[in-house]
Amino acid sequence: MLDFLQAVSDGVLFGATYALIGIGFTLVFGVMHKINMSYAAASVGGAYCGLLILHVFAGAPPWAVFLLAFAAGGVIGWLVYLTCFHFIPLANPLATLMSTVGMLLLIDEIVVHTTAGMPQNYPALFDDVMLRFGDFSMRGDLMLVFGVSVLGMIALLLLLYRTGLGLATRAVSQQPVAAQLCGIQLARVNALTFVITGLLGGLAGAMIGASVGALSPLLTTPLTVKGLIVTVVGGLGSIPGAIVAGLLVGGFENVFQLYRGVTERDLYVMLLLFVFLVFRPGGLFAVKGAGR
Amino acid sequence: MLELRGVSRYFGGVRAVDGLDLEVKEGEILGLIGPNGSGKSTTVNLITGLIPLSSGEVRFCGKDLAELPVHKRLQGGIARTFQNIRLFGQLTVWQNLWVAQNSPEDHARRGFFSRWLGGQRGVREEISQLLEFSGLADKQNELASNLAFGEQRRLELARALAARPKLLLLDEPAAGMNVEEIADLDERIRKLRGHGVTVLLIEHHMELVMAITDRVAVLNFGQKIAEGTPAEVQIDPAVQKAYLGGAEE
Amino acid sequence: MDFYFGLAQIIGVHTLLGLSAYIVLLTGQVSLAQAGFFAIGAYAAGMLTVLAGWHIVPALGAGMVIGSATACAVGFPALRVKGLMLVIATLAFGEGIRLFFFNFDYQVAKGGVQLGPLGGEGFRQIRFFPENGWSTLEVMLFIWIFVVLVMLLLWWFDRSRYGAVLRAVGEDELAAQSVGINLTAVKVSAMTVGGAIAGLGGGLYAHYTTHIEHASFNILVATFAIAYPIVGGLASVLGTLFAVIFVQGVLIEGLRFLGDWRNLLFGALIVLAMNLRPRGILDAQAIVWFKRLFGGGKRNA
Repeated sequence: MLDFLQAVSDGVLFGATYALIGIGFTLVFGVMHKINMSYAAASVGGAYCGLLILHVFAGAPPWAVFLLAFAAGGVIGWLVYLTCFHFIPLANPLATLMSTVGMLLLIDEIVVHTTAGMPQNYPALFDDVMLRFGDFSMRGDLMLVFGVSVLGMIALLLLLYRTGLGLATRAVSQQPVAAQLCGIQLARVNALTFVITGLLGGLAGAMIGASVGALSPLLTTPLTVKGLIVTVVGGLGSIPGAIVAGLLVGGFENVFQLYRGVTERDLYVMLLLFVFLVFRPGGLFAVKGAGR
Repeated sequence: MLELRGVSRYFGGVRAVDGLDLEVKEGEILGLIGPNGSGKSTTVNLITGLIPLSSGEVRFCGKDLAELPVHKRLQGGIARTFQNIRLFGQLTVWQNLWVAQNSPEDHARRGFFSRWLGGQRGVREEISQLLEFSGLADKQNELASNLAFGEQRRLELARALAARPKLLLLDEPAAGMNVEEIADLDERIRKLRGHGVTVLLIEHHMELVMAITDRVAVLNFGQKIAEGTPAEVQIDPAVQKAYLGGAEE
Repeated sequence: MDFYFGLAQIIGVHTLLGLSAYIVLLTGQVSLAQAGFFAIGAYAAGMLTVLAGWHIVPALGAGMVIGSATACAVGFPALRVKGLMLVIATLAFGEGIRLFFFNFDYQVAKGGVQLGPLGGEGFRQIRFFPENGWSTLEVMLFIWIFVVLVMLLLWWFDRSRYGAVLRAVGEDELAAQSVGINLTAVKVSAMTVGGAIAGLGGGLYAHYTTHIEHASFNILVATFAIAYPIVGGLASVLGTLFAVIFVQGVLIEGLRFLGDWRNLLFGALIVLAMNLRPRGILDAQAIVWFKRLFGGGKRNA
């Protein structure tokens, strides 16, 4: 029983990163009704960029790495927007989808080549801290990951619901044509959506690196799949859905791992997805008009 | 031929169609008019099954359509056109007509294999007739999206006819047409009646409606407020009030 | 010369992979599961020739049947998910199949050696071709007979009402329903045919590489499957073939100039192609143009 609770706790804390990735996918879907398949790869890419600061200042503190990852994520996000969405007419969903797949492959390859495929160590904070409650413990670094991710989510929600830009974004997601008629510049809102999700993604990538202790290009594929699963389970287009689903998937994944081991774990996460698709295709917080 | 009894459709608190009783007799051309938002298109969607009924029933040739999925209703003798043209733009004119040949007669005449995998030769005659009827014979290999607007409207009508319907639902076929095109449409609908097709015509062009229909039903806010011959309906005070003083085009 | 035969083998099998996605794409369903059906065909055909001693042709047939049956089973729940959700669902399904084979052990002792799939190790010694003395040329021709047959079949579909109906469904489901087309039958049938083609491709793949493992059927392969028809253009089977030749040719040639960085080219190529020709290199308008150029005053298409 204790093992179970421990697994759930660790899983949920880590699941906050999945939630961030899920938010990124779902926000782009909500605003542009498109999926950006390269998102998880871009997050990992951003995290790698964070490591660049260590080449300049060998003794740079971890938070500097995280900050750079955060910023780099935003830049990569903007680049993805430019190459996949700015020039391609939005009436061609296949073309934009394929384009983001191309970016996914491109980013992946760039990472593999610059690091020669070797995993890179990632700095962590509070990894030597442990909160103990009897036999139950909570790792300090996981708690930091959770905390930072939650801060990121709060910042995003504040942006969406308390600023003019957020209002414009929500307007575009509901009625793009009408929004334009009200003077909102579609291209700018779309580009900014990508930058914002990119920032969030860079942060998520950094947090994943911090909690695992290392980054590897092999992370990209499972992260993409899990991120998409989180998005679907939460409901395409729903941010609260992505948050809840992320924590859920994180928790479930760890529990599966406890009982069935690492190799079968991912298989069961897939099964979770199928259960949802069969019984609740709209996801936990189904958004009207989503899934088109 | 077509009977609607107590048909209603609610969207939350909005009563798009409210307790509608309507009958379309065999061989007639019935007009359905009403101000914008009165529920005309919703009625067509309810008949074809694209939107489910909130209450009431729809009977076609005595049979309740309730359990039939959309494609089965449209194989069984009902066909429709769309207010905003919904052609298969990336298919040629010929192909647009070809994919619509889904009537029971077509199913019976040719075996499964020849109907799905056979070439064009077997259906050349029927499709040529449709092309002749709509004046599109010289454009048969053109992609539908490359046609001019008037041609697209004619193709949409021809495609509806490809399924050999007994009842044809025309959803604002004259929208966006000029005078010549409307006269052309008028002639074509009359020809259809000559071939035994029953027509339910939804329209805003009052001249067309008055000229061509046998009877007219008027909707307002989802309810039928008047019914009768075109002349009767034109002078009906309730109708005039609904249109705010003028059914003028 | 053997190098070029080998390249032709790869192109042939990739064309089958692309065509399996092509027919499903026509109905508007973007399926990232084709690599999964490809894997099923590969393991099934491999196990039949290696463990049960079958001849390759019936083994390929069995792979096609199992692949198409699985695809048909996937086709029905796939109807419940629309558009982009289907992409995700099929992606997850494909990954699920890969994970299944990652955990799949079935070994039989044959002549003192353990043969058969062994989880992460994969399935080695699929040696039907070498054991029966097939040369590289013969294997290549064998593969291409099937490729040509499948292309002819799909080309025939395209000229028939079935092909037009597939495309009508892909373009506008509402209108298709409204002219009496049964969406379920059309979409599931396309998925089933796609599964059969993928199963066939997988079986051939297993035998010419002689060694398959779960990683051979990953997301990259699933991506290749849809990339070929999308980049090549959905207006004709030739688009897919063209895209395979183009991509594989570029990747191979790129090896000479860019060495290890050629994989970078693939991603960049896709992005560029989609920006320059969103409807694919050979789109409907291009086909019509080609036909006019060569067909002149021929009778209607």
